[in-house]
Order: sequence, then structure tokens, then C-alpha cells
Amino acid sequence: MSEAIRLSEYPRAKRIDERQPPELRFSERAVQELERIKRHYPNKRAAMLPALWIAQREYGGHLPPEALMEVAYRLGTSYAVVEGVATFYTMYNKRPVGRVMLEVCTNLTCSICGGYEILRHLEEKLGIRAGETTPDGQFTLVEVECLNDCGNAPVMQVGNRYFGRLTPEKVDALLEELKNSEEHTVVQLADTIVQCHLSESERQDIERALAKAQAGSGGQDGQNG
Amino acid sequence: MAEQELVTIEINGIELQVPKGEMIIESAKRIGVDIPFFCYHPRLGKEQAANCRMCLVEAGTKQPDGSVRMMPKPQTSCTLPASQGLVVFTDTVAIQKARRGILEFLLINHPLDCPICDRGGECPLQNNTLFYGPGVSRFVEEKRHLPKAFPISDYVVLDRERCIHCARCTRFSQEISGDAQLEFLKRGADTMVSTFQNTEFTSRFSGNTIELCPVGALTSRVYRFRARPWDMKSQKSICTRCSNGCNIWLDYRPNRLVRVLGRENEAVNEEWTCDRGKFGHEYISSDRRLLSPLVRRDNRFVTASWVEVYQLIASRIRQAVEERGAGAVGAIGGAHLSNEEAYLLQKLMRVAVGTNNIDHRLERNQVAGGDTLLARLGVPFTQTAIADIEKAKTIFIFGADLVDEQPIVFLRARKAWFRFGAKVIIAHPEPTETELRFDEPLVLRYRAGTETTLINGLSHLILQSGRAVTDGISLEELQASLSEYTPARVAQETGVAEDALREAANLLGEGTVILCAGRVRNHPEYAVLANALVNLTLLTGNGSRGNGGLNILLPEVNSHGAADMGVLPDLLPGYVPVNDREARERIERIWKASLPAEPGLSTQGMLEAAAEGKLQVLYVIGEDIAQKYHDPELAQRALENAGFVIVQDLFLTDTAQYADVVLPAASVAEKEGTFTNTERRVQRFWKAMNPPSPDVKPDLNIFAELAVYLGKPLPVFSAEQVMEEIGQVFPAYAECCYDQMPAEGVRWMPTLTDRGK
Repeated sequence: MSEAIRLSEYPRAKRIDERQPPELRFSERAVQELERIKRHYPNKRAAMLPALWIAQREYGGHLPPEALMEVAYRLGTSYAVVEGVATFYTMYNKRPVGRVMLEVCTNLTCSICGGYEILRHLEEKLGIRAGETTPDGQFTLVEVECLNDCGNAPVMQVGNRYFGRLTPEKVDALLEELKNSEEHTVVQLADTIVQCHLSESERQDIERALAKAQAGSGGQDGQNG
Repeated sequence: MAEQELVTIEINGIELQVPKGEMIIESAKRIGVDIPFFCYHPRLGKEQAANCRMCLVEAGTKQPDGSVRMMPKPQTSCTLPASQGLVVFTDTVAIQKARRGILEFLLINHPLDCPICDRGGECPLQNNTLFYGPGVSRFVEEKRHLPKAFPISDYVVLDRERCIHCARCTRFSQEISGDAQLEFLKRGADTMVSTFQNTEFTSRFSGNTIELCPVGALTSRVYRFRARPWDMKSQKSICTRCSNGCNIWLDYRPNRLVRVLGRENEAVNEEWTCDRGKFGHEYISSDRRLLSPLVRRDNRFVTASWVEVYQLIASRIRQAVEERGAGAVGAIGGAHLSNEEAYLLQKLMRVAVGTNNIDHRLERNQVAGGDTLLARLGVPFTQTAIADIEKAKTIFIFGADLVDEQPIVFLRARKAWFRFGAKVIIAHPEPTETELRFDEPLVLRYRAGTETTLINGLSHLILQSGRAVTDGISLEELQASLSEYTPARVAQETGVAEDALREAANLLGEGTVILCAGRVRNHPEYAVLANALVNLTLLTGNGSRGNGGLNILLPEVNSHGAADMGVLPDLLPGYVPVNDREARERIERIWKASLPAEPGLSTQGMLEAAAEGKLQVLYVIGEDIAQKYHDPELAQRALENAGFVIVQDLFLTDTAQYADVVLPAASVAEKEGTFTNTERRVQRFWKAMNPPSPDVKPDLNIFAELAVYLGKPLPVFSAEQVMEEIGQVFPAYAECCYDQMPAEGVRWMPTLTDRGK
């Protein structure tokens, strides 16, 4: 669906002066992680995807324009290029999402096995339509294509876990569990993916560096651009 | 040129030899075979994107037994390199069908609004559809709808529905201009071109994306709905917005300029234009142009006839010469005049008035015609040809925000880095946009005012390293003078880290191109700094005009030409000192007139004299000195106190407000002549339109007619004739005769012996 454009509003804003660094919000840990991930690639820009995952974690589950600007600044590339990459991939959230994202598969196998019933049930239960977020910001419900787990259809992905062979009763129990759990959140999924990009020794390295920074006063200012 | 390996290929049964690795789309052009395309562009990128699929061909390779083994699928000819025995068919039934299919797909979402599209009439999609497309589409459903035309900057309008996703504009902004402000968002059918968050598209080269767009998705906001391509005429011209001399097309309807397009010249601008050049020629068709001569009466301007003003000017000049001598008359201007006009101006002043009070420089550096460089390097301002910048090993951008000051030179510098891997050093006291266009250049952030120390420090390091080339310099003297510039001291004074200094010194060497602009030209101690820069150039072995060299880029379109033509108080045409008797006499013989032997006043000198009321007549040609002189206050005082001010310009400028007589001059589109760009390339421009009124005259005519009224006629009938005379006076210009001049212009090569000959 295209957004309505009012001609008088365009261009939306004067361009931000690139010579001024944007506001930087990455935590010390994020900076350390990005620093190590960059070394895996021949140039900084190649680390764009993991960097966006770090940003998605750091900015609380989605990528606002400021997050894209920060990634661009830290990778020495233009804002537009980062936005292009971020909008290409569906797992980067460009709009704010709930704490937990429920992604219900309605592809062939799942829909035969009741995927749509699960989706309708969730819509009713949460009082929202697919693609929306509950007013309390707990859940975002999304209808997705094949999750590659047809053997367990109907399937739903919640954060970093799959839940298969769903029934409305199972879903109700799961919702209760998720409400009170810190597991399977959007942020946690981002973190899981970031950790996948780091080796065990790198993770230990980061812990050591962070401990050292904490022991010292203040530590780095986080600008390693 | 190194010999290229040739391979034999066959296109549509015609055998031909082409360089190995040449893309087939290019090879096909050699035999006049037409392959349609959208996204292919020879100047974009190291590799082509091949995402429009329009240039598909069938290809195969010849086997030893003579049979041809075809590739199973059609290939994109823009990414298919020529190799021995390649066999290509561009017009088979399968290819015709493929093209029809591609075009049908492209037109599924492309709106058929050609009658109101600016691209209509010169649109590759329209043309290719006519020649290769299906007559009818099978797609009857609703088309994709996206925001229709909306402005993304002051210059560019974006229509997302028309976009066919060829990626030319995004590739240009990422690979050529380097600002990467345009990018595709989303994917698949939702793909659309956008700037970051729909913010303003502020690239300084945004106009090129309009020209690159093969459909009407990116259109010019200025040209929008002003003309159809078929009711415009085009004339070849030269951009007047900076000293680079980019080649442009002026597209005009009867006596109204509607747009400017880039014109190809490999040696200068390839085919790019900057936005200043592309959108900065609107003034030509402005309503505020002067339409007739004006004379001040009772403190306001009234129109007058040319005869009246000529008589008035002539009488005032004669009066001044009689009362106070020829030194009481002075002329400022020339950097915006063509070579022919500049030449005639100084001849008018020297022969008809009899003074050397003539200067074209408005900046602080008024050292005689690039003195240091001319004496020590044999060139007035620049050593490196613009095209050779891309062959540089290291590019040292010194004290210049190149993107802003010399956009097209910047594109070459960036190409050298992006395409050919040159190293880049940028020295500037402040963060500049230029730095952002290279990946991690070596930045030397020196304190303003310590330029000479920095350069001497680098020279010192190079001397110490033992890599120094010592031809043509007295080593001991230099060692002595540089010995105090130790890295530690230089680092302390300039604020540049010692490591960075050492790294920079290591990068400097043979093939280093030094690019400087306004900051160096306006440096308070220009002569000292220029000397230091020359030392550095010589020490790095770039004195002999290899690919490396020192380049002090000039401000105005014909700054170089004006200097060449002797619009200087101390130099005659061809950098001949006025007080060199023998050389002066040679010119006197050609001109059949005697010339003043004493150097005249520079711009600064003339303005100071005028401010004190010592200058009776001040003649300002094409320069708004009240605004643009580096010390505007002095200029204003001078204009107030000068006895009689003549201003010759296109507009009633701030300077003209002080004038007693205002002469309306023709713009670059309304006359012909030549400009000399910053690399000494003399290029022609042609007359496109008539002046807005019959009373507006080219400067050349004004000077010639004024000379008649002064009683010393300078017989000229055309710019061509003047150029012939220039060739006699300044032999370096002998090749610039209009009938001999090649399309890419003539880059004259100075030799030290020209001087004083």
C-alpha cells in the first residue's frame, strides 16, 4: 500500500549534515561486538547485516531512522544504503513492534493443518488483526510464509523458538507463559543472532574487555567509527 | 598505449577483431549492430549491473571441429566479455521474443503517461518499445500505484511509478559521485528509489541522475514542462561556472534557454556536469538582463544610444589622459571574458589608452601570473591534465573542499581512488564534504595558518627518507632551509600527529597529484607557500610533468585565459614582462603601436588609487567587484571615489549601481569565442541565441568600437580573426585557430623558452 504523499511536504526535511555524527546509542557491549564482527569481513560495510541486528537489539526490537543513521556512521557508509539494506530484509522491523512477536505460518501445509484457525484464534484472543500490535505493547501478530517446519504444522515462530502442532488450547497456554516470561522476545532473537556471529573466544574477549572497562573509570567513549 | 590483445569474434555472422575482454554490447557498436539496453552505461562502475535484461543475446563458442556450441540460455551482452571464438547472435527469433517479453514486463507497471512526460520524445523505454516491444499488452489488471511526481530536491522530481529499476541513478550516486544518497528501498514489486527517509537529495551532481534515467522517473524541476525535446535547438558550449571548462549543450527555444545537458569530452568532464553547471545558466534568459546602455543623469539611470555612450566614454578617457596621464585610467575584469575579448581588452587599454593598469584578479593573490610556478615548474598554474588525475598514484588534496570548489576535478580524483586504487591524502583545517566521499582517506587536520609549516615538514621528511629526487634544486640550500622543520616541531605547530605526517610523507612520491584551490590562492603569504609546494613537488619527482604534479586550480571560467592574454599589469600576452624591451618590441611590431614600458597597477593598486581619488576612469568588465572582491569595502570606496566608472555587465549589479555608464554585454550563449580552462585547455563555444535586445553587444564588439572612438582602431571583424592574431603574439596559441581546433580542444604546453621570446 502506498503512503499518500502531499506534494507541499516534500522533500520531507533538509538533509542531515553528514559531517556531524548522529546521536550514538550503542552500549559498550554493542560497540565491542561490532568491533569484532567487522574483523570478519574484508571491509566495514560487509558487516552491515550483523550490525543491523545489533542495532535492532540496542534500539529495543526495531530500527528507527536513528538506528539506521548510527549503523551508517559506524560502518562509514551513507544513510540511504543502510536503509536500502534494512528495508530489503523482512526480519528487520522498520516499525515499532511488541515485546514478543508471534509469527503464524499460513502457507500450504500449515493452512491445511489449521494455520488459519490458529491465526483467527490469536486475533480474537488478542483483539488485534494480523500485522498489528496489542495496545499494551506485549504482542505483535504477523502472518508469515513457510517457516520450513511443515512436519510440525501448524507452526508459529516466537522470537528464537518454533512452536509446532498448535491447537487453540496450546496457544492459550503459550500466551500465558509468554506474558510472564523473559524468553523468546524480539530483542532476545536479535541478541541470539548477534551471538551467532561471534566465536566463543570473541565472546570471552568481550566479557574481559567490558569487565576491564568497568574496573577502569569511564572506559571508551564508544566511538570507533 | 600498451598493445591490447585482440580476439576474433563473430556477431551475426560478421567476423571482427576486438580487444580481449571488451563487452559484446560495445563490440556490436563497432559494426553498427543495435543492441537495446536500459541499465548499461559504460562509465558506471567497475562492473555492469545487468539488471534490465534488455541487452540479451544468444552466444556460443566455436569448437575445434568448426561447430558452434551455444550457451543454453541468452546472455546479457553488457556483461559478456569478448573471448576468442565467441559467436553472438543479436537478432534471433528467441531474442526477439525475449525482448518483447522484457518490455511487456517493464510496461506492466510503467504508466503510459508519455504525452505528459518530460522524457517523451527522447525516452529509451519509448524508443525500445517502438522498435522491439509488443504492440499490445496482455496485462489488463490494475497497475502498481506509488507516489506520483514529487520533488526530492530543488532540482529533481521523482516519479516512482515510472521507475523501471535499472539502478543507473543509484549506481551513479554510489560509484561516481560517492554520496550514495539514492538507494533502492524494499524488494520485489515494492522496490522503489528513495533518499534516506525521503529527505532532500542534496548531491552536488544530482542533475546527472536526470540525464542517466532511461525513463521519466527522475526529471528536472527546472526544465519540467518547459519544452518538448523536438522543439528545442542545441548548441555546443562551455560551462562558465568554474574554471574546469566542462563541455555542455545549451538547449534553447527561440531566445530562451530551457536546459543544459552534459556534452562528452573525455579530456575534461567525461560527460558529467555538476549541479551548478547544469542549473546555473538560468541567468542567460533572465528578465532582468540589461537591454540597452544606461547613463547616469541627475543621479538616476536613463537609457542612451551606443553612439552617445561611446562618445561620453571616449571624451572622459581622453580628458583623464590629458590631465593626469594614461595612468589615471584603469580596467578590472577579464576572468569572465573569452580569450579573444580578454586579449582585445588589454590591447585596447595598452594601445588605445596607453596604460598597463589592467588586471583580472579579484582574490588576494595578486602575485604576477603564477610567478613561482612559472619560474620553477614552467607552468603558470597547473601541471596535471584533468584526465591524468585518474592515473595518479597518490592524490593530495591540500586545503580545498574539492566537491565544492572544483566538482568535476573531484570526480576525477574519486575515480582515481575508486576505479584505480589511488591513495588519498586530504589536508584541511576543517571537516569537509570531500573527506566523506573516500573510504578512510588520510586526513591531516592542520591549524589554519600553518600551511607552509605543514608542507615544509612533509618535504623535510621526504628529504630525510632518502627518496627525494634532487634534479633542479639546490639541495644544500633546501636542506638548510628545511632543517628546522622537524616532525616533532611541525606536529606541535600544525596539530597534525607525527605518525600521520610520516604516513603522508610515505605516500607522497612519484605520481603524486597535488590539488589546491581557493585557500592556497588566498593565502596571506601565497608566494612562500607556493614555493614550499614547488619544493615538495620537485622533491617527490613530479617536476617534469609526468602523471604527478602541482595544481593550483583557478576560480573563474577564464582566469587562465585572462592571464595568458596578458590581462595583468606586468605581463603582456604570453607571460611577456612589460619591462623586457626586446620581447615588448616584438609585440609592438605585430601591433604596430608603442606600448607603455612601466608595469601598471594591480587590482588592489587600482582600487586603492581610486579610493584616494587618483583614478579618473575605472572600467569594470563583467565583475561585480562591490560584492566579489576579497575586500568588498575597499572596492566600494574605490567605486565611490573614482572619477568616472564604466561597468560592462549582463545585469545591473551592485557594482553597476556606482557606475556613470553601464554597457549591456552579451552572455556566453549569445557570442562565440574560446575559454582556457584550468588545465590550459583552449575550448571553443558557439553562438546559440540572439541577445535579448539588439542593443546588447558581445564584449568583443564593444572593445573594438570603443577603440574606434578613442582614435586607435583595432581592426577586428570576428573572434576567429582575433584568435589568429593571438597565435602570432603568443605562439602557444597558434594551434588554436578555429578551423584547426580538435573537438576536445587544445591543451597548450608551455615551455620556459616561450617566456621573453
